[in-house]
Amino acid sequence: MAATINKTKLPPSQHEFAEVIHRLEAGGSMLPDTPENLMQIIGIYKAYAVPMDFYWRDLLYIAEQVFLEPLPFFKYFLPKEYLTRHNNYAGEDADLQVWRGKATAHPELLEFIDKGKTGKIPKLFHHLWHDRINMEFAEACMRAMLWHGRDMGLGKFDAYLDSEEYIQNADKAIKAYFKNNPAMLALYKIFPDMFLEQVRQLSYYSNLGLFWEVMAPVFFEMSDIYDEGGFKGVPDAMNFLVNGIFAVAGRPIYHHVYIRGECYEIIPKSKGFTWLYEAALPYVEAIFYRTSPFRGTKSYNAQAKQVPDEQKDFHYGILYADVFPVGTAGIPPTLLMDDMYHFLPQYLQDYYQEHCRGEGDVLIQLGITFQRSMYNVTSAVIQALRQALLYPLDDENPNHLKANREFFEAQMDRFKLPEARLRDIQNQEYR
Amino acid sequence: MLSALLLLPIVGAGLIGFIPIKLSASQLRQLTTIFTIIICAWTAFIFTQFDLTNPGFQFQEYFPWAEPIGLSYSLGVDGLSLPLLALNGLLTLIAIYSIGENVERPRLYYSLILLINSGISGALMAKNLLLFIIFYELELIPFYLAIAIWGGEKRGYASIKFLLYTAVSGLLVLAAFLGMGFLSGGASFDYESITTQNLSLETQLILLTLLLVGFGIKIPLVPLHTWLPDAYTEASSAVTILLGGILAKLGTYGLLRFGLQLFPDTWSLVAPGLAIIGTVSVLYGALSAIAQKDIKRMVAYSSIGHMGYILVAAAAGNDVSILGAVAQMISHGLILALLFHLVGIVERKVGTRELDVLNGLMNPVRGLPLTSALLILGGMASAGIPGLVGFAAEFIVFQGSFSTFTIPTLLCIIASGLTAVYFVILLNRTCFGKLDNQIAYYPKVLVTETAPALVLTAIILILGVQPNWLIRWIEPTTDFFAVNLNNHGEQIAFQETPTQKDFIFNISN
Repeated sequence: MAATINKTKLPPSQHEFAEVIHRLEAGGSMLPDTPENLMQIIGIYKAYAVPMDFYWRDLLYIAEQVFLEPLPFFKYFLPKEYLTRHNNYAGEDADLQVWRGKATAHPELLEFIDKGKTGKIPKLFHHLWHDRINMEFAEACMRAMLWHGRDMGLGKFDAYLDSEEYIQNADKAIKAYFKNNPAMLALYKIFPDMFLEQVRQLSYYSNLGLFWEVMAPVFFEMSDIYDEGGFKGVPDAMNFLVNGIFAVAGRPIYHHVYIRGECYEIIPKSKGFTWLYEAALPYVEAIFYRTSPFRGTKSYNAQAKQVPDEQKDFHYGILYADVFPVGTAGIPPTLLMDDMYHFLPQYLQDYYQEHCRGEGDVLIQLGITFQRSMYNVTSAVIQALRQALLYPLDDENPNHLKANREFFEAQMDRFKLPEARLRDIQNQEYR
Repeated sequence: MLSALLLLPIVGAGLIGFIPIKLSASQLRQLTTIFTIIICAWTAFIFTQFDLTNPGFQFQEYFPWAEPIGLSYSLGVDGLSLPLLALNGLLTLIAIYSIGENVERPRLYYSLILLINSGISGALMAKNLLLFIIFYELELIPFYLAIAIWGGEKRGYASIKFLLYTAVSGLLVLAAFLGMGFLSGGASFDYESITTQNLSLETQLILLTLLLVGFGIKIPLVPLHTWLPDAYTEASSAVTILLGGILAKLGTYGLLRFGLQLFPDTWSLVAPGLAIIGTVSVLYGALSAIAQKDIKRMVAYSSIGHMGYILVAAAAGNDVSILGAVAQMISHGLILALLFHLVGIVERKVGTRELDVLNGLMNPVRGLPLTSALLILGGMASAGIPGLVGFAAEFIVFQGSFSTFTIPTLLCIIASGLTAVYFVILLNRTCFGKLDNQIAYYPKVLVTETAPALVLTAIILILGVQPNWLIRWIEPTTDFFAVNLNNHGEQIAFQETPTQKDFIFNISN
C-alpha cells in the first residue's frame, strides 16, 4: 500500500539500487521477500542466538569479574553464576519479556558446553581442542567498537571514557582490585594510562555484553514465532526487529565491577547511556560496516592503499565481507561460522545439504546466509532511524517522502562499493 | 608369457564392446579396470621374473607367420621395453579413471582404450620390424576414433591432422624398414637378423634419415610437431594421457631401438644434428608454453620441450646419456599423465582451461585444493625440482650429454629453468589469487577422480627419492646399447668416463 502511495507521489529513484530503495519505501527490507530468504535468516538467527547467549554472559563476566586479571587464562570458563544469570529480556521474571523461553542459558548451549563435539571430557581439553564457543569472535567485535568508537560520531559513551569522572571511577576500581598486590599498584603508578585503557576496553566488554543480552532473546523469539507459523515474509521479520529496537531502546548501558563482593560503578546507570544510541547504532556501524582488515587468508597491503586512510571509510564488515576464502575480511569469518554451525536448525541443515557441496562447504553457505540475515537487521536499523528521525512511509506530504527518499539513497550509497554484497543478496543463487 | 599382454586387452575390448548384457557406464569402467589391473599384475609378474644381468631380449616368443615376406610373430622384452610396458599398463589405468562416469558410448570408448593398450604393448614387444610397424600403425585407428568422437570442438580437424601426420610417420618408418630388409639381403625382418653393416654409408644415411623423420613426427620434434598441440588439446584427458604419456614414447623408443641400435656406424654422424634439433625442440617447447593461455595447450607444448631432452641424450650416445634418455621417457610419461589428468579435472569442474579466467583454485572450501596441490607438485616435477623423478631423469640426461654436446646441454639446462617459468605462470594464475564469487560454484572433486593423480604422485615421489628403483631395470640394456654403439662407431664423439656414472649412482643410492 505504502509502495503505491510512493509511486504516485514520487518519480522512480534513479539510484543504482532503485529497486531496493523502492522496497524500503514500501516498508520492506534490503533483502528480497522470498520464503527461502525468510527460512534462511530465521534459521541463522537461531543458530547465532545460541552462541550469542554465551557471548553476552562471558563478556559481562569478563567486564564485571575478571576485570584486570593480569593472566586471564580462564576468562572463557564461564562460572555457573553467569550461566544461570537471568536474562533481563527472557523468562517469567524479565523486565520486558521478549522471549518466552528460559531466562538462564539456552539448553543447547549448556549441552554444548558440557559435551562439545568430542564428547564428555574435562573442560580444559574442550578448550584446548577448540571444542568450545569461540569467544575470540566476541572480543574481535568488542575491539572493533572500541577502535572505531571515537570516530563514529555516535552517542556519548566513548567520549565519557576520557572524562575525569570516568578516570576517577576507574582509579577507585583499579586500586581496589590490586589492593593486596603492590607490584601491580606500582605498575599502575608508573603506567596509569595503560591500566585506564584496559578499563576502557572492559567498559566496551560490558557495552557489547548488554547489547547482546537483548539480541539473543530477540532472535530466539523470532525463531519460535517462525516455528509456530508466524512471519509471512521478510518484512514481518524486519518489523519485529524494528519494534524490538524501539521497545528496548532505553535500556541502560553501564559498567559495574564486582571486587570482593563490592560493586564499583565505573559507568553508573545514572549516566543515562541507552541501548539504542550507545550500543546498537555504534555496533551496527563498527561491526556490520567497518570492522578492520581481519587476520585471515587474505592480506591487505596498507602501503598499496588497499586499506583506506580514514577509519570512517573502512568497509570490512559482514555487509562487505567475502566469505568465500574462509577466514578473510570482515568480522563474521571462520570463528562465528564455526559457532553457528553447532546450532543450525534441522531445516537449515537439510537446505545446505541440497546446495553447492553440501556438508563440504556448509560453513560458507551459512556465512552467506548470515550475510543475508545481517542485511535484514541493517534494514531494520535503517527503518528504525527513518522512523526516529524522519517521516512515516505513508506520509501524504511529498516533501516528507522526498526526505525519506534522500535518506534511503544516502544509506544505499554506502553499498556502491564493489565489495558490497547488496547486489549479491538480491540473487537467490548467491550461496 | 608376453602374448598375454597383447591378448588380454584385445579379449577385454571384445568383451566390453560386444557382450550382450546391458551394463551401465560405471559397470563398464569397472570391467575395463579389472582387465587393466590383470594386465598390470601380469607386467609386475614379468618384472619379478626379469633377469637383470641379461641385457638382451627375454621371454621371447616366436611363431612363423608370413615367412615369404619376412614377417614373424616374434616378441621379447628388454630393459628398454619393460619399463615402457609397465608405463603403458599404468597409464591405461589412469586414463580409464580420467573418463567421466557419464561418458557417451562407454562401450566403444573403453574398448578403444584397451585396444590402444594392446597396440602399444605389441609395438614395444615386437622383435620383428614388420610386426612392429603393424602395431605402430594399428594403434592409430583407436587413437583417431577416440579423438574424433570424444574430442573437443575442433576434434575433426585435430583427429584428421593427427592421422595424416602419424600415418606419414608410419609410412616413412615402413619405407626405412623395407629398405633395411631388402638392401641388407636378409631373409627376414627379425630384429636380430637385420644388419646395416654391409650397406654403404650413403644408404645408411638415407635409411636413418627416413627413420628419424618418421619417429620425429611421432615424438614429435620441431618442426614436425604441429599435430601435437591440436591433438593434445582437443582430445579428452584420457586420450591425451595416452598420447603424451606413452604414444609419443614409441617415437623415442623407435629411435633408440631401430636408429641407434641398427645404425651404429651412422648414428655418430647424425648425432650433432640431432642434438641441435633436440635443443631447438626444448627451447621452442618451453618458449611456446610460456606464451599459451590455455593450460592444456601449455602442458602440450611443455611436452615438446621435454621430449627434446630425450633426443639430446640419445644423440650423445654414451651409457649414461642413453640411460638418461630412457629414464626421461618414463619420468616424462608419469609427469605428463599427472598434469593432463589434473588439467582434465580442472576443465571438468570449472568448465574452462583459460588462464585468464581461472583463479584461486587453492581455496580450501570452494576451490579444488587437492587438485591444485597436486598440480603444483606436478609442475615442480616437470621443472626438475630435486626429490622428484623429473630431477633424477634430467640430471642423468644432462650428466650424460654434457661432455659430448656441451652447448646444447647448457641450453637444455636453461630451458629447464624456463619450465619453472611457465609452471609458475600456470600455478600462480590457476591456483592462487582470489576465487571469484560470481563463478565459484564448482562441483566437488571425488576421491575416485583424485586417486589416479595420487598414485602417480606417489610414484613420482618414490622414484625421485630412490631413482635406482627405476634405473636398475634399464641400465643393463642401455649399457649394452652404448657398448654396441661404441664398438661400431668410428667417430663417436662420446667421452664416457667411468667416474660419471659412478657419481650418478652414488647420488641415486
